[in-house]
Amino acid sequence: MTADLDASVRIDVTVNGRPRSLEVRPHHTLLDVLRDDLGLTGTKECCLVGECGACTVLIDGVSVDSCLVLAAEADGSAVLTVEGLASGDRLDRLQAAFLETGAAQCGFCIPGQLMAAHALLAANPRPSRADVEEGLAGNLCRCGGYEQIIEAVLVAAERLGAAS
Amino acid sequence: MTEPDAGVLPGRVGTSPARGGGRARVTGRQAYVADIRLEDALHVKLVTLDCARARIVAVDASAALAVPGVRLVLGAADLPDPMPRFGPQFQDRPVLAVGETRYHGEPVAAVAAETRDAAEEAARLVRVTYEELPAVSTIAAALAPGAPLVQDPSMRPGDPLAASNVLREHRYGWGDVDGVTADVVVEGTYAFPMVTQFAIEPHGFLAAPDGDGIAVWSSIQHPNWLQRVIAGLLALPLSKVRVYAPDPGGGFGGKQHAKYEPLVAFIALRAGRPARLVLSLEETFQAVRRGAAEIRVRSGFRRDGSLVFRDVEANYLIGAYADIADRTVAKGTYTSCGPYRTPAARIVARSILSNTTPSTAFRGFGNPQQIWAVESNMDEAAHALGIDPVALRLRNLARPGEVFIPGDTPADGDWARTVGRAAELIGWDTPPAPGRGRGIAVGLKSGPTTGLSYSTVRLLADGSVVIHAGTSDMGQGARTIFAQIAAQELGAPLDWVTVVMGDTAVVPYDQQTSASRSSVLMGNAVLGACRDIQGRLRAMAARLEGVAEADVVVDRGEVRIGDRVLPIRDVLVRGLGRLGGEVIGVGEMRKEADPDHPLGGTAAFFEFNCTAVEVEVDRATGDIVVARHVTVSDVGTALNPSQVRGQDEGAAIMGLGHTLMEHYILDDGGRIRNLGAIDYRIPTSMDLPLRLESDVIEHGDGPGPYGSKGMSEGALLCVAPAVAAAVRDATGVVIRDLPLTPERVWRALNEVAVP
Amino acid sequence: MRAFTYERPTRLDDAVALLAAHGPDARLLAGGTDLIIRLRDGTIRPRVVVDLKRIAALDGDIREADGALRIGALAVMTDIAADARIRRDYEALAEAAAVVGSIQIRNRATLAGNVCNASPAADTVPSLLVYGARVVVTGPAGVRSVPLDEVFVRSGVTTLAAGEIVTAIELPRPSTRCRSVHVRRTRRRGHDLASVTLTCAIDTDGLTRLAYGSLGPRPLLVADDTGLLADPSAPDGAKAERLETLFAAASPSARSMRASPDYRLAMLHVLGLRAVGTAIERLARGSAG
Repeated sequence: MTADLDASVRIDVTVNGRPRSLEVRPHHTLLDVLRDDLGLTGTKECCLVGECGACTVLIDGVSVDSCLVLAAEADGSAVLTVEGLASGDRLDRLQAAFLETGAAQCGFCIPGQLMAAHALLAANPRPSRADVEEGLAGNLCRCGGYEQIIEAVLVAAERLGAAS
Repeated sequence: MTEPDAGVLPGRVGTSPARGGGRARVTGRQAYVADIRLEDALHVKLVTLDCARARIVAVDASAALAVPGVRLVLGAADLPDPMPRFGPQFQDRPVLAVGETRYHGEPVAAVAAETRDAAEEAARLVRVTYEELPAVSTIAAALAPGAPLVQDPSMRPGDPLAASNVLREHRYGWGDVDGVTADVVVEGTYAFPMVTQFAIEPHGFLAAPDGDGIAVWSSIQHPNWLQRVIAGLLALPLSKVRVYAPDPGGGFGGKQHAKYEPLVAFIALRAGRPARLVLSLEETFQAVRRGAAEIRVRSGFRRDGSLVFRDVEANYLIGAYADIADRTVAKGTYTSCGPYRTPAARIVARSILSNTTPSTAFRGFGNPQQIWAVESNMDEAAHALGIDPVALRLRNLARPGEVFIPGDTPADGDWARTVGRAAELIGWDTPPAPGRGRGIAVGLKSGPTTGLSYSTVRLLADGSVVIHAGTSDMGQGARTIFAQIAAQELGAPLDWVTVVMGDTAVVPYDQQTSASRSSVLMGNAVLGACRDIQGRLRAMAARLEGVAEADVVVDRGEVRIGDRVLPIRDVLVRGLGRLGGEVIGVGEMRKEADPDHPLGGTAAFFEFNCTAVEVEVDRATGDIVVARHVTVSDVGTALNPSQVRGQDEGAAIMGLGHTLMEHYILDDGGRIRNLGAIDYRIPTSMDLPLRLESDVIEHGDGPGPYGSKGMSEGALLCVAPAVAAAVRDATGVVIRDLPLTPERVWRALNEVAVP
Repeated sequence: MRAFTYERPTRLDDAVALLAAHGPDARLLAGGTDLIIRLRDGTIRPRVVVDLKRIAALDGDIREADGALRIGALAVMTDIAADARIRRDYEALAEAAAVVGSIQIRNRATLAGNVCNASPAADTVPSLLVYGARVVVTGPAGVRSVPLDEVFVRSGVTTLAAGEIVTAIELPRPSTRCRSVHVRRTRRRGHDLASVTLTCAIDTDGLTRLAYGSLGPRPLLVADDTGLLADPSAPDGAKAERLETLFAAASPSARSMRASPDYRLAMLHVLGLRAVGTAIERLARGSAG
């Protein structure tokens, strides 16, 4: 059995609610495909070893480092990226909270932080501060002291709780 | 379009409106350099060697060129001879290594291909024949007699140090250190490690032929500087070099000066197509770092704790090319006496070349290393003298207006108040909980010594505003504060103000974004442009109302004539009349060089911070938990308090990084072992102080708009000595080397030597 | 990353056949958190990557089967750390699974993958050894169940034969009431690779089992059946001596970047004593979960 190293794989994946059908190279990661093939550059490339979280997306509601997922593995899944959080020009509660608390400084880590926070609140709608620290520990920030990011998540949780 | 509500002006200076560019950052729309797509761009991949120093024997690109999609492989032989060189202090850095690689990661060649895959594959296939050469990667090795020279002596003709690895030696001082007598002398040698900026955005560069010139995109903090470099290397007039500088995803100094832009520019022109190079995180760690240092401090005191002399010998280990590193040594050690009244001082500082990553600017600019040494020494002095560490600082701190460095700017803040506030917040006068120790330290840094910033502001016909300001907004929030200034001065709602940055074809000259200068230098330029507009509006109002100009006051968004108050917008609309148009203002702030000054100029302002921490130390493991971290900075006026807080707290946590965990690990050959995020550790959200508090002292005593000073480096400066002092207080051990990893603390506690 | 082909069999037989056909040129992909890093840095260069996640016979379920707790090959760390039965009866495994990297890593990393990757620093292996875990594999020669202690050889090397695929990890039902704890040494409080890993379990019969990793080519299991370590009233000095004897085979590598050998050995003893104390406290308090 010879392996055709130039072969592509066809995947069907829903990205931010929109069904996409793509031909992808097997060795391209979900991060590569999101940024280069789909032009969704909100998800960022940094360490590429699953340490910094800048590439965090949700696959079927679960937060993952997209640099460690082959695009082919996402076949049949629903992927949510930072571009899928807002509805039109209406920011979601996390995005609005991040803006209010000044959580975004240079902003490069922020898409990953938002996705990790999104998954955190979905699993744990009333997180303690320690829960938030732990839930975001896979997302490095170098500009801020994490304080304003943590505050934003707690504020958003409070509002989501108040709304429901 | 909504009408602005003239009665309410949100976003005025001193408030914390949402960050300019914040919305783009939370929606993923902010375009960093790696997000920019150029039609037809070639992907570039660097070819490097896995050793610190090597003689390049041959570069065989044949296998690489055979990879489908590869368009060119560039080596030194394909560039002009002599090799073009660049650098902010010395033109020493070659566009590509020629003859010899001098640090682990210096590129030997570059591949340009249609796809990233092809570029990566081809880069692997470039066969470099090389001979590894002895390399120096420590101060001792670099200074040893007969040490291999990092730079060829012919690079520094006529320089008596050319046959050594000492690039420069700086000497400062006053009084007679050897002639004064002190009651107590405290001496120690302190070491600061090699650390890297680790901005979450790795460096990225694009270049494309642009008519008869070139366009370059870079995450560069100094777009105009880069423009000059590229123009010089390509023999183009400045007007034919367009630099686009997207907001960097963090800079911290590592993106101040050109790195691979020249290489990418050559490739783009050679190929006749755009070229794109985005570094991996590992390549970024190989490209930029902070200078490491070994600093001996000997300080003399009278019994009552007043300083008698300070004698400092500082050796900084810089990299294979100077970049701006020697300037960090010169400037960083110049303030080795700290913010203290020091009757006699002698400072000798050396920048020492090594076969390592070229060190460059990094938040603090040579000061954190010196402050680690001097403030640790102060803490040791407090113990030797039996004087409380806060009292020792207060006894010696320069008072506002006092000259503490002869020939330089006097103390420009109430620093005693800053120290007092930090002490108050941490509860210095009440003992810490059992098992905890406390430490305190202060940090001083000179602001910019020269500067030039221009800004143009355009007040458009409907009262909205466009600001052109060449500052790089890399997270510190420059864009926001400039908008706040204009909103305040011109009476526009904040969301009616647009700030244009990062395009040398459109935005007037700004010297650089560094030294925490932009609030002051560019802020004043923006303010000046607004005042220029106000002057024109005064003339306009006088004409419209038939009064003398002297009877018109234009201030903070209003036009006042006697008792009448008119919104600026009213005067503007009537004054521009049927032709419409706009009012253009130009502002400039300039701080001239002083050729007689050792640093080329006095400090425009000082950054001053006091940091106090409380720690718990696990004696069995060496783990340090920072229970409380208090940081107080003297900022003049906080133009945007939320941004000030974000910067100060970020600086504090970054300081904890080099204090507790960050360091390059080199092997004996000078190769970096811990490239990448797995083994180079920085603080995560789980590594925070249990309680972090920041505060600011605002006396409106800065030279910037509304009495502001520059800030955002201060809170990093003295974290390390504060923590080490707290560790000593908790355990009794004095540790003089960073980082204070659990293992290092354990060794000190158990007096176990390094294996 | 170098190119490879991607296979996604839906039948276990087909996966086994792919491994047989390609030999060392094929690699198995479950969570990918180790594999993809090594694909990217070039330390492995397979021509074929076989994704296990669509194989019907493989699952990530955690269920009781024949008196044992069966953890499916595709079970990820997040699920293991959250499972009520594991938290109650195999709490050190839950603790270990909770520290294997960040949440993003834990959402993908499989227990089976952690075992097969065979890193001496693998956090889950010490607790699996302590609990007497068995690895169930399917291969060309059929199905077999092997004690984990017989699977792990040294870094990157297991006794799994060519073409064998782990289908489950089984934890025998504990015969006596037992409490355990997993501890480790890292460079920061945030997630990190450990320079020492250790699990300690003490049961009501006074048996103490300890397994430690990252101090030698593979994690090692030792036991104290004298009752000394399990005795709440025995002095620390005596326990420390006993631990020293038990840990005699610890041989930390001199080459590690993460910690020096002498520090690691010292920490092994510190952690050992602390873990014993914690296990005793937990046993005294009652059931976990």
